[in-house]
Amino acid sequence: MMTTLAQSGFPEAMTTLTLYHYLFISAVMFTLGLIGFITRRNLIVMFLCTEMMFQASGIALVAFSRFYLEYTGQVFVIFVLTIAAAEAALALALVVLLFKRNETLDGSVWSLLKG
Amino acid sequence: MEAVISPIILYAMIVLGALGVLLSLPRARANFALPGFLIGATAGGVVLLALASKAVAEGGGGLPNLYFYLFGFVALASGLRMITHPKPVYSALYFIMTILATCGLFLILSAVFMAAALVIIYAGAILITYLFVIMLATQSPTEEMVEEQPVFDRVAREPVLATISGFLLLAMLSTMLAKGVPMLVTPSATNADEILAQFPHDIEKALRHRTTMGDEGGILPTETLARSVNEDGTPGEFVIDVANRTVLVQVDAEGGATRTVAWPEDLELGHVQAVGYELIKGHPGAIEIAGVILLMAMVGSVVLARKHMQIDEDAKRAQAQSLASREGASS
Amino acid sequence: MMISPATSLASGAADAAAAVGAAPTWVLAIPFLPMLAVVLNTLCAVFGNKTKLPAWITVGCLAGSFVVTMLAYMALSGETNTVTAWHWFDLSWGDGVGQSMVANFGFYIDNLTLLWMMFVTGLATLIAIYASEYMEHDVGKGYTRFFVAFGLFVFSMLCLVMGDNLLMLYLGWEGVGLCSYLLIGYFYKKPEAVAAAKKAFIVNRIGDLGLAIGVMLTFVHFGTLEYEVLFNSAQLQGYISAVQEGRAGDVPLMAQLIAVFLMIGAFGKSAQFPLYVWLPDAMEGPTPVSALIHAATMVTAGLYLIARMLPVFLLSEWALPVVAWVGTITALLAATIGMAQFDIKRIMAYSTVSQLGYMFAGLAFLSSTGGVFHVVTHAFFKALLFLCCGAVMHGFAGQLDLRKLSGLWHMKGWRIVSIGMLIGCLNLAGVPFTAGYFSKDMILAEAFVTPGYGYSFLGWVLLLTAGMTAYYTFRVFFRVFTGPVQYEAGDEHHGSDDHSHEHEAGDAHGHDGHSHEDHHGHFHPHAPGMRINGVLATLSVLAILAAGLYFISPEKHGWIGDMLEESTAHNIYTADHSSAAMFVIDGDAHGAHGHDSHGHAGDHGDHAHGAHGSILGYDPHKVMYYISAVFGLTGILIAAWAHGPKGLVSGFIGGRVEAGKCRMDGVAAKLGPIPRWAENKWYVDEFYAFIFVTPLRVVSHIFHMIDKLLVDGLVNLFGYLPRMLGRGAQPGQSGVLHGYALSMAGGVGVILFIVAWVTL
Repeated sequence: MMTTLAQSGFPEAMTTLTLYHYLFISAVMFTLGLIGFITRRNLIVMFLCTEMMFQASGIALVAFSRFYLEYTGQVFVIFVLTIAAAEAALALALVVLLFKRNETLDGSVWSLLKG
Repeated sequence: MEAVISPIILYAMIVLGALGVLLSLPRARANFALPGFLIGATAGGVVLLALASKAVAEGGGGLPNLYFYLFGFVALASGLRMITHPKPVYSALYFIMTILATCGLFLILSAVFMAAALVIIYAGAILITYLFVIMLATQSPTEEMVEEQPVFDRVAREPVLATISGFLLLAMLSTMLAKGVPMLVTPSATNADEILAQFPHDIEKALRHRTTMGDEGGILPTETLARSVNEDGTPGEFVIDVANRTVLVQVDAEGGATRTVAWPEDLELGHVQAVGYELIKGHPGAIEIAGVILLMAMVGSVVLARKHMQIDEDAKRAQAQSLASREGASS
Repeated sequence: MMISPATSLASGAADAAAAVGAAPTWVLAIPFLPMLAVVLNTLCAVFGNKTKLPAWITVGCLAGSFVVTMLAYMALSGETNTVTAWHWFDLSWGDGVGQSMVANFGFYIDNLTLLWMMFVTGLATLIAIYASEYMEHDVGKGYTRFFVAFGLFVFSMLCLVMGDNLLMLYLGWEGVGLCSYLLIGYFYKKPEAVAAAKKAFIVNRIGDLGLAIGVMLTFVHFGTLEYEVLFNSAQLQGYISAVQEGRAGDVPLMAQLIAVFLMIGAFGKSAQFPLYVWLPDAMEGPTPVSALIHAATMVTAGLYLIARMLPVFLLSEWALPVVAWVGTITALLAATIGMAQFDIKRIMAYSTVSQLGYMFAGLAFLSSTGGVFHVVTHAFFKALLFLCCGAVMHGFAGQLDLRKLSGLWHMKGWRIVSIGMLIGCLNLAGVPFTAGYFSKDMILAEAFVTPGYGYSFLGWVLLLTAGMTAYYTFRVFFRVFTGPVQYEAGDEHHGSDDHSHEHEAGDAHGHDGHSHEDHHGHFHPHAPGMRINGVLATLSVLAILAAGLYFISPEKHGWIGDMLEESTAHNIYTADHSSAAMFVIDGDAHGAHGHDSHGHAGDHGDHAHGAHGSILGYDPHKVMYYISAVFGLTGILIAAWAHGPKGLVSGFIGGRVEAGKCRMDGVAAKLGPIPRWAENKWYVDEFYAFIFVTPLRVVSHIFHMIDKLLVDGLVNLFGYLPRMLGRGAQPGQSGVLHGYALSMAGGVGVILFIVAWVTL
């Protein structure tokens, strides 16, 4: 059966596009998010980078779901989205609070745990 | 099994990509954003091309493959741009682009509902919140000030170390993936009809729709799907034969005669149906927990917001007092 | 002494074994009445009693205990009975012999036990009455404390002698040691008393270790701690018959070691050389304590142990001779020291050590009757002597120096004390027809009768010691009780326990509360009251009557012999004269000692003609009466010449006109430094300090330095290293989020790299 762009259900196993392709995309995206999280000092951008890492894990989960012809991976992505939403709500509230405290979004200003 | 991609190309492109990311990260004096982006894009493109060439060599190809490379490249390129752009607003917009590209990948992966949900939740809700906060938390430039990004947006922190460790991680991940993915056992396909049999009303609806359309093989309005009878006399399960794709139909309401009707040929399992079934059937507890987490997040946000207001008022009061005392001292 | 039929050891033991029965439950009241006194007195202490109630509680309970003991004597005398209060230890880890350990909180009542119970409870009652007056100055907390410890002591002592297994004995042994410690240190504000208490406790530790090892070895070897099982075990009987038949080598070394270790325990508790040093110092405690614990009862625990375990002691061919030698050395050494002391309580203390030496020697000479008889008579007259000394101390504000006291006989109100002292001294000196005379003679005669390792030499030494005993005893009597009336008050007021009580107590006594500050002028000694006098009179009568014990059933060596016939000590009593049979092969006691070929008997055969040894060719049992009387009277005469008052016998004997001067001063001057050495106790304490204490102190200093430098250094190093490590790693803790994220990412990368390197 010829695969279409948005086919429904899982007709058959993955063929030319292997799991590796998707996982590689996922890994690169995760790495980019990680580098962004480390290098960027703007709190909001840092949280954006964590969202990107969530995305990377989402791709991996859906790819596995497709590979194993199961829906559990996708269900998991739903929960990831839920957590991401909750996290975004809280994190952004905190960011606003921190900004009110210090009038800056620079994350490296906050170093109360300095040894 | 032969490697999906030549390791030499892979590692070379990873190093090249690292260089590109390093260059494109914002820095204090010189700005190499464009060449860095180009180098990074080249590296990503070369890797994707290498992957594609392999697929073409194996005789696959076709539209989905093209879409995959397209969406993959867009996702990674906009991701790179997102982490390197000095302006948070642009970063957020690039992230929306990444999400859209990811949705494309989800579509190729037959995850229709996930793609839709991603667009609605991420691009629609979360990113809007981000943008809102970015607007809220950025100091509005005054008239005489040249529009200029604050220094913490213009200068990256420890770009070299971050890039090295990040791409070391990537190299290791891709090495292990290349080694590990071929080891995975491809499972046999799930019989979608078994899931479909859990939705007898959909089958009945499809069969009635056939009759309405005037086709043969549907069921009449007077007919209903037959149920088995439990030991205590109550009606039980619908009688559905998954293997032959047939249902048992009761000819008249009082019971008696039955007949076997085949499913419509084009009756297929919907994606939302499947995911919903898996979600409700397999993870009811997790749904409850997720609900609690969302509730907690909401309560937490409210508490944080209230606290912040109180602090504000305290600060105002303190300021008013200090002002009053200063005036008293001067007069 | 008479000749008993040579009953075999084994059959004697078998006779004892057959008679083990169940005692009635009411005998449990004997140990538990003193315990009741402890509980009630503790309640008094809790409720802050300020009256003499504790004394009367104690006296009542102890008297009750004594009455029950007498009832038990009437009902159970001559039998061997056991009664169990509750199951204490009942462990089992198999079915075989020695795979279970039973030690009940039970009591084993035979004649030996009854004997000890009678004089312990009887004397404790009398001394409690005495103490009720003696401790008056301390009514309140100290008074209650005293009687709590007193009751606890009696309970422990009864556990010791009545216990039906060695573990009970050990419990009582440690209990009396604890009470001894508590009571010596009664005046805990006095440094000497505290030091003495510690010394007693520590020296006793050495002996108690021996006892503990002995008890453990008994269990390991015989598989039981219960007397009943132990004495009837085929193993022990087999050993005894082996020894009896001259196959002493068949007894394993382990069984012989038991006796040696038990002996060490006995030496510690009964103050024998070299562990006697604690007893004289123990006189720092109140005098009733000295009388009861350190003269009459506790120090005889060692004797009891040996008497009880005599069958085990017989197994070792060395244990009893060592006991004999140690006992004799102790007797002589303590007597020489006693002769040179000036503190009358100390003199009595050394006399106690010396007399204990006699008792040990008596037991070792296989004359358990003599040894135990001496225990009983000594208990009475030594308690009497101590109580008299206590009365003097009580009346003269702690004055104990015989150079500062004189002529008490002539003072009003001191007559009963003087007579009591005289009776005690006569007993101790062994004047004919006193109880002490008969019991001492029994030991001395046996020394010449029994063949053994130089026993007849020991006999002469003991005779000499008897003379010295008479001398120093009457030295005290003549100096303190006769002569012109002179006295100086002591520098303390009944000890210095609680000065807050002193003033009220002083008023109650009818003399100035500050009397101890102005010695002569206004000091009025107060004569003892009715209770002290009553107790002294009772004890005097008892000490005299004790002589009568010898004449009850004389065919069995007096009443004591009669009593011991049915106890474990009896086993050896019957062997007393067949003991010679232990050392000869043919078992013929008569005439066998002439042969050199037969072990130890041969070595000392010249002392043993026939069944008996001889003294100067006569039968020791007969001539000893005269010889010891001569020695005793000579000692008294010398004392009278040197210390007697002017006008005792027309100036030739006596002639002392002052409290502090006597003829012996001149003699002592001629002897050079020897009297000074004796006064300083032959520097034994200093020798121990040099040999044991100083090296230990040096070693402990060394260990202290090691602990401080090495151990503490190591510990501190382990504390220092992480701190320095932390200081080194401190810059890593930048506190900035990015740093942590970077190190986490880098760390994961490196770990993955290593994993990939190793696995791929």
